[in-house]
Amino acid sequence: MSVLELEDVTKSYRAGDVLVEALRGVSFAVAEGEFVAIMGEFGSGKTTLLGILGCLDRPTTGSYRLVGEDMTHLSESRRARVRGRRIGFVFQAYNLLPRATAAKNVELPLVYAGLPARERRRRVVDALTSVGLADRVGHWPNQLSGGQQQRVAIARAIVTRPSVLLTDEPTGNLDSASAQEVLALLERVNAEGSTIVMVTHSSEVAQRASRIIRVADGLLVADETRGVR
Amino acid sequence: MTATLEQFRIALAALRVNWFRAMLTALGVVVGVASLVAVTAVSAGAQKEVGDSIRRLGANVVLVDGEFTTIGTGQSATERTITPEDVAAIAKLPTVDAVAPHQDIESLTVSAGRNHTVTRLFGITPPYAAIYNQAAGSGRLLSAADVSFGRSVMVLGTVPAARLFPGRSPIGEAVRVGSHEFEVIGVQARKGKLSGESLDNRLFVPLPVVLRVLLGGTTTKSVGVRVRSEKQIEVTMDAITELLRRDHNLPASYADDFSAEDQAQFVKEAQKATGTFRLLTFALGGIALLVGGIGIMNMMLVSVRERTREIGIRKSVGADPRAVQTQFLIEAVVLSTSGGVAGLLVGILATRLIGRFAGWQTLVAPRSLVLAFAVAVTVGLFFGFYPARRAARLDPIAALRYE
Repeated sequence: MSVLELEDVTKSYRAGDVLVEALRGVSFAVAEGEFVAIMGEFGSGKTTLLGILGCLDRPTTGSYRLVGEDMTHLSESRRARVRGRRIGFVFQAYNLLPRATAAKNVELPLVYAGLPARERRRRVVDALTSVGLADRVGHWPNQLSGGQQQRVAIARAIVTRPSVLLTDEPTGNLDSASAQEVLALLERVNAEGSTIVMVTHSSEVAQRASRIIRVADGLLVADETRGVR
Repeated sequence: MTATLEQFRIALAALRVNWFRAMLTALGVVVGVASLVAVTAVSAGAQKEVGDSIRRLGANVVLVDGEFTTIGTGQSATERTITPEDVAAIAKLPTVDAVAPHQDIESLTVSAGRNHTVTRLFGITPPYAAIYNQAAGSGRLLSAADVSFGRSVMVLGTVPAARLFPGRSPIGEAVRVGSHEFEVIGVQARKGKLSGESLDNRLFVPLPVVLRVLLGGTTTKSVGVRVRSEKQIEVTMDAITELLRRDHNLPASYADDFSAEDQAQFVKEAQKATGTFRLLTFALGGIALLVGGIGIMNMMLVSVRERTREIGIRKSVGADPRAVQTQFLIEAVVLSTSGGVAGLLVGILATRLIGRFAGWQTLVAPRSLVLAFAVAVTVGLFFGFYPARRAARLDPIAALRYE
């Protein structure tokens, strides 16, 4: 079964007087366990696409199904719940809360999901351990390196055991060593069964994925599945 | 439940980061709540004072006093114009419950052994005790027999009792008034002060004795009239006026040779003196709360803008609009409530100072504290609502991109 399914999705919005057509009819599906890279230049529509996949945004036309459920017309609060339970985000800028410890950051989605405190603590420790930061539980973001911060962000993304991990240039702010660490971590998470969709402009980073989708000018221009990594 | 607790923790943490700004913002609420506490305390105190005074004076009492009259160049010889017939006629009025004719002599020097004191002597009859809430602190009060037999007995107020018989019981002792000697049979229970005059610096003897021995004649200056209910005070005063004018044969062109007044009237008047203060303080409190509320709204709006990215992050990990709204609303309420608590303390302190320096009786009622607290919470909810809603409605994508 497909985890994600886009059907002829368009997205246009107004920027001042100009109507921007960010997506002009995109269709594809992602199966469970895939590691998909979405590649494109700046302005190609790839970030808009990620917003729709992440239920942060709604398509103008077309439909989007997540694990068989239609997301196109859901209310903002329903979409918030979907984001909290089915989707894990990893952003380029880490997007950790600066005034919360690593553990508190990882715990955040579980708080909104309404899990009891004991269960939350257990899962937070598990998630931080699995990204190799068991000893950084009480650290503040500004006490962590970029690579460590991004690993905290990954822990936060996987702590809810989501259906799909959406990452937006996850290595964009990192030096190459940290970038390799983060990519290796994503590969491992994928190998353990998580579906990953990664937006990137770097072909080197995209090579780590099992499938590469290229977008340009709001259209899907190539979709190649690579055999064995 | 867990979520709400968590929301509180988040709100407290957010306020701690900008604690100085939060404190300044809460100042308006502090002043507002403090004013409310003070104004209600002064009101309640004034009300209590009236109640206490009326209790001391006796409730629903019309005091009829004889007056000097001036007609042309002539003046009446006495202000003791109330006759026993007047008293009897007043007692028969349907709205009248009890009457107590009495005659006082001011600044009278009395002595016991080597001690002497200046006090005020009252000639009274038994209904006096009932009408003016007089009770015996020790010994007994004047009885009907004391009055009808014209016994030379006396009840002391606590002040002359202490001055004439320091450190011992005056019961059974003798007090001299001029050349006349009275036996002390009781001491009146402490009554306290009424608009500056001590109600305890008094002596009470049977009215006939005062008239016979000290003054002569049968008329008195005063009669206390207890009316059945407060609503009947006005009509009773009118009835008494009509009755006395007729009995005193006063032609229409002559002024009254007496006065009739609700004796609690001046207490009620005095209470109005605090009215202006209360109105001003109340207005100040209202304005302070309004300004404080706007301050909170302003700070919350700034806070929402500063934390746009945080809101985006929270939304991306599953916070729905309601959760975001609750978070900011709680923050506003925590802010206003802290101001409210501080305001309660300041208000209580201010009330104490007012009591000390203005000399007004004050009463901090628990109910008024609850009210002030509720007002503070309401201010937070009301002025926090718009910023919280604004936070809740932020577009998650735009919020995440916000720098």
